[in-house]
Amino acid sequence: MWKVGLYLTKNLCSPSNYNINTSLREYAFKSNLKIKWIRPEKIPCQKPEKSGDLQKIGDVDSKGFPLQFSDSQELLDADEMVKKMFSLGFLPRKYSTQVLRHEMVCTVQRHHLDFGSMESRIASMTSIIRNWQELYEQFPRNKKLNVRLKELIDKRKKFLKYLRRWDYKRYEWLLSKLDVVYHPPPNEFRRVTRKESLCKLTDKYCNDLKEQRLKQYKATLESQQIEFLRDKIKLAIQIRTGTDKSLKEHSAALLRCGVVQCGVCSHQFPNMHGNVR
Amino acid sequence: WLQYFNKEEFIYAHDPEKKCKTGDIVLIQELPEKMTRLISHMVKHVVYPLGDITDPLTGKKVVVGKYRDEIAEANELYGESENAFKYDDAPDRGWQEDKKDFTHRESYIKYHEFPDDDQPYAV
Repeated sequence: MWKVGLYLTKNLCSPSNYNINTSLREYAFKSNLKIKWIRPEKIPCQKPEKSGDLQKIGDVDSKGFPLQFSDSQELLDADEMVKKMFSLGFLPRKYSTQVLRHEMVCTVQRHHLDFGSMESRIASMTSIIRNWQELYEQFPRNKKLNVRLKELIDKRKKFLKYLRRWDYKRYEWLLSKLDVVYHPPPNEFRRVTRKESLCKLTDKYCNDLKEQRLKQYKATLESQQIEFLRDKIKLAIQIRTGTDKSLKEHSAALLRCGVVQCGVCSHQFPNMHGNVR
Repeated sequence: WLQYFNKEEFIYAHDPEKKCKTGDIVLIQELPEKMTRLISHMVKHVVYPLGDITDPLTGKKVVVGKYRDEIAEANELYGESENAFKYDDAPDRGWQEDKKDFTHRESYIKYHEFPDDDQPYAV
């Protein structure tokens, strides 16, 4: 019973709550500021927005030939039907992806036999990742593909991390060539909770409020400054041009002490060394 | 059973010219008096910048365990392609900051959708 009494007295004593019927709960605090929190949408890490791929894999020439027959002269002289049969448009998807992968690696490799250097490996991984991302969009129930895709993305991120450590210039050049974005991992991995996010938002709100009010106060003080300087100039002109000797002597004495008297309202201001902005 | 753990020590060093970037190995000097409560040292110069190490004995540029000349020699023997990376044409570190490379700032997990803010450092 004594707790209820305390609770009622608390209610009555606070100047804002004169209505006795209002309830003040002591759990699950809800502030009066009415800050709206929008939970960010969870984007799966296999999607290109999260994995860092800004471009989709390019379209392959449907009349082109697979890698194995790229050098053959007989295909070029063959019949149209034969050419059609061997063209990438009529062959399984595997052959077009091979061609695209080879093309991507060719844009980055050091020499025509370089498939082992860091940049060529990352390039081949990016082409596969982009291809699988498109495939997964078409067939979202292929979970094994999803798992492989996620693992490949993580591997590429790891390789980029190593390359950044070993050769920063090459790493930057590679990011620009392949159109890949690299984000470092966050220091903490915590669940996004309503309480924590609202706490951060209220802190932000309070800091913004403080800054805004300080700005306002500064503006008012600066506006006062202009008037004061104007009066000071007037006084100075008066002193130099005027014939009142006593005023001159008095103001000279005050200047020596570091005080200036306004001739209009006889208010004493500290000497600002005559800096007119 | 025995377990070994790394120990980390954080020192706040004064760097007005912003010589150092994340990951650089740097030479610092202890100040005669502490500048602030935390700042006790100052940065003298960068010894090994991240990813751009020069061998102190020979003075040649190094990539992990090989000299750059060795790699260039191997590429020449194979027949260097046009699209290969050239060290001479590469600009200094930092030209991809805020575009493709977001390692210069600490990243955090997105906790709110701000209407004006793009939040490029949010993961």
